[in-house]
Amino acid sequence: MGSERGDAGTDAEDDPDAPVAVELDGVTKRYGDTAAVDDVSIRVREGEFFTLVGPSGCGKTTTLRLIAGFEEPTEGTVRFGGESVAGVPPEDRDVGVVFQSYALFPHMTVGENVAYGLNFAEPPEGVTRDERVAELLELVDLPDAADRDPESLSGGQQQRIAMARALAPGPDVLLLDEPMSALDARLRERLRAQVKRIQSELGITTIYVTHDQEEALAISDRVAVMNDGAPEQVAPPRTVYREPASQFVAAFVGDNNVFAGRVADATAEGELAVDVDGGDETLRVRTDRGGDAAAPSVGDRVTFCVRPEHLRVADGTAAVTGNALRATVASAEFLGETTRVTLDWGDRDLVVRVTDPIDGAVAVGFDPSDAHVIDVETR
Amino acid sequence: MTGAEDDRVTGAEDDRTRGRRGRAGRLSRLREGWLARLRERVESRALTALAVLTSVALVAAFYYPTATVLIEAVVVDGAVTLGVFADVLTDPFYFGELARLLSGESPVAVTRSLASPDRRLGIVGFTAYQAALSTVASVALGLPAAYLLARFEFPGRRTLRSLTIVPFVLPSIMVAVGFVATFGENGTLNAALAAVGLPPVDLMFTLEAVVIAHAFYNAPLVARVTTAAWESVDASAVETARSLGAGPVRAFVDVVAPQVYPAVLTGAALTFVFTFGTFPIVLALGGFELATVEVFVYRLVRDLSYAEAAALAIVELAVSLGVLLAYLRYEARSSTSTRGARPLPRRPLVPPTPSLRELLPRAGLAAYAVVAGVVFLAPIASMILASVTGGDGALTLDHYRFLVERQQTGAAFQVRPWPAIRNSLLFAAAATLLALPMGVVVAVLTTRRYRGRTLVDAAAMAPLAVSGIIVGLGLLRGLVFGVEIAGWRIAASGAVAIVVAHAVAGYPFVVRTVSPGLSGLDRSLVESARALGASRARVIRDVELPLVWPAVVAGAAFAFAISIGEFTSTVVLATGADAYTMPVAIERFIGRRLGPATAMGVVLLVVTGLSFVVIERLGGEHRGI
Repeated sequence: MGSERGDAGTDAEDDPDAPVAVELDGVTKRYGDTAAVDDVSIRVREGEFFTLVGPSGCGKTTTLRLIAGFEEPTEGTVRFGGESVAGVPPEDRDVGVVFQSYALFPHMTVGENVAYGLNFAEPPEGVTRDERVAELLELVDLPDAADRDPESLSGGQQQRIAMARALAPGPDVLLLDEPMSALDARLRERLRAQVKRIQSELGITTIYVTHDQEEALAISDRVAVMNDGAPEQVAPPRTVYREPASQFVAAFVGDNNVFAGRVADATAEGELAVDVDGGDETLRVRTDRGGDAAAPSVGDRVTFCVRPEHLRVADGTAAVTGNALRATVASAEFLGETTRVTLDWGDRDLVVRVTDPIDGAVAVGFDPSDAHVIDVETR
Repeated sequence: MTGAEDDRVTGAEDDRTRGRRGRAGRLSRLREGWLARLRERVESRALTALAVLTSVALVAAFYYPTATVLIEAVVVDGAVTLGVFADVLTDPFYFGELARLLSGESPVAVTRSLASPDRRLGIVGFTAYQAALSTVASVALGLPAAYLLARFEFPGRRTLRSLTIVPFVLPSIMVAVGFVATFGENGTLNAALAAVGLPPVDLMFTLEAVVIAHAFYNAPLVARVTTAAWESVDASAVETARSLGAGPVRAFVDVVAPQVYPAVLTGAALTFVFTFGTFPIVLALGGFELATVEVFVYRLVRDLSYAEAAALAIVELAVSLGVLLAYLRYEARSSTSTRGARPLPRRPLVPPTPSLRELLPRAGLAAYAVVAGVVFLAPIASMILASVTGGDGALTLDHYRFLVERQQTGAAFQVRPWPAIRNSLLFAAAATLLALPMGVVVAVLTTRRYRGRTLVDAAAMAPLAVSGIIVGLGLLRGLVFGVEIAGWRIAASGAVAIVVAHAVAGYPFVVRTVSPGLSGLDRSLVESARALGASRARVIRDVELPLVWPAVVAGAAFAFAISIGEFTSTVVLATGADAYTMPVAIERFIGRRLGPATAMGVVLLVVTGLSFVVIERLGGEHRGI
């Protein structure tokens, strides 16, 4: 991943000119004194796969429920296609919702479940109810399930039926609330590829909630990383990964090494020398990557991060280039393809990924251009 | 989905049009016809309409009639006064020695009199006293049953567990007949004692008989709630305690008991409230010597002392509500719900090894089985036996023949069996039809989350705590004698008033059976249906009710059984009218001839049992799961 650069922020799917399907404008939802969702403004474009990701309690599910109409905002407005939906009950919003618990009606067959929404909406012209149900079951690769009892299906199959049911009436927006959290890891990977395929086939605007950042990166056109009731960054997955907008995003999305320090020297080419806090090391960092505002000057405090895969460990053959740090191996987790090693560096930890086992004192280094400056505090 | 590509946003106006078209899809198509529009409007309001209808029904059938009676305690000759209350509260006849405290005597003197052997408790004091004794007896009799049902496995365990509901819905007057047949002068108990050469005992019209009869009713209730709590104790919690070094007894005391005893308290609190308001049992087994508050309210009503009756009923209501509220506060503080727990494994009833530790609890249960047999089975068996036993002790069908003859030759003023049976069935069917929708609507309203829900819950449950005599009297004077509203005189027959009273008495049980099911449903089922386009009322019909259908059927069976067995308000409303039911008929027989009363009791038992089976069958066909 690390070597190819320069396309950050210009993912093909990210089209800022596309019309807005769902808009949250200064939306706040308070329960008593606590704000579950705090002044959120988001625009989801038509046909986009948009993901709300964050730790539990960050307000992502509440945000989704506000869009679905299960909750009304305390402040602010939710708009569908530019029109406020305040006071519009869920049944009139033309949304399809898929829950983590599948929520299939246990007293109906699979076919009756999928057909349920067609009680309140006509199937597309020239298509009968039964044909529509068959069409949807075909879409989720369960063409023979119509007469089965939902409880006789596996979790993954139930979730696909829930998806077919939500899509049958032809909603404008598909809302998925942690749809795969109850499934095992391997199944989850297969199912998310399928969800993505169905979404792009139908071109339906989709808002997806998950706590799994890997899933969010894998499936989305754009990601909103939420923390404490508000998004900290809204951007395509690559941008979120490579250029986290805050320390929280840097730490939440993938593994990361975050450094803070004071700028000791700055060159015209945008290279900084930073005296890192809690040690006497000076590290060099390049700041000329995508869209950083004013370049930091001497005396400013900066925070920057370096991905574990960008920290290279010196072995017998190759020496470290760029910044060089001396550290000691503290622990290692074998992950199969790589090993994740935690190093003691002074009184703090560094995380690196290696393919061959290492031990004892090691030298690690990183290229100044692999560092990303998150935050600058001018003096 | 709209074709977004040719539709770029150029301004607010465009935005709105596109938005409307964007949401066009199914809705605008549906909204085209006025018929569809009308349907949608009706559906979206249906829940509100049902809620309003239920409220109106409750006000008309319960709150208004009850209020008209209770108000007499404070309004005498058009003037508001607390005089009647003051009289009741300071009358030693009602409050015993405590009344002297209320009328200003020194607490020291009152305490001294209370400690002396010839203390007077007064009617209210006695009522509380017998309720407390009944509660202790019910808990003592209920806990071993809970232990047996929760911790042991044996053939018929499930059947026995579901049978624990039966005593609660048995008509109380029939139970009273059974107790007379068992403990009366010529009852089976004395027959059994005589057979082994022991002197006879006379338990009739004693406190013991009343307390045992109350335990018959309420011990199974205690057993039910306790068993449920015991079964929900997570086995891994006990296993954790054991692995940390606690022995079996210590693990029980530290882990199981704290989770079980709130349920025991629930059972005890309900038992106290039910037995504090007891009426038919005491009327039949205690007579006026052992009069409780409710019996005395009945007597005052018969003597037309409405003001005093109302004041006494308010005192009764205050005590019942006080206990209930104190309990609810406790419950709110200590409620812990454990869901999806792995229950403790049950032990076989036949011990795997004949060790003392295995045998001791089983020997205890065997002794308990004997006591339980005497309390629960003897009354029913004795009643059946007495109905086919003549004065000379030989088997005979005379008592049934008497019922048939009475039917053919009875005078107009005499109670005849067939109208009683017909009325009971008709009233029960009508009351169920009324109570079921009311109960379901209230269950739906009280399981949703909103401000003031507790208030709605309490208001809807109030009929449980108010004296049936007062409700009956209110309906008698309100509905039967008629009320004038805007120049229209509205009056109903005694039969209609009885149906209304029965529906009011029965619907809280529908609520209590249906709402746990509703609140246990996965909320996302409801939300999925709504997102798919169903209105709130439609979701109830399509999703919620089908899923809790067994509970709805059970609620119907409850309402039916409550109506069949209801005595208190029926006896008030059936006065003078020929709207008497089986329980009223039994009460009229019991004073004169025990034989026909037991025969009538057997008929009531058969009819109640059959209706239960029929309702179960009807419900079984519709059951979704």
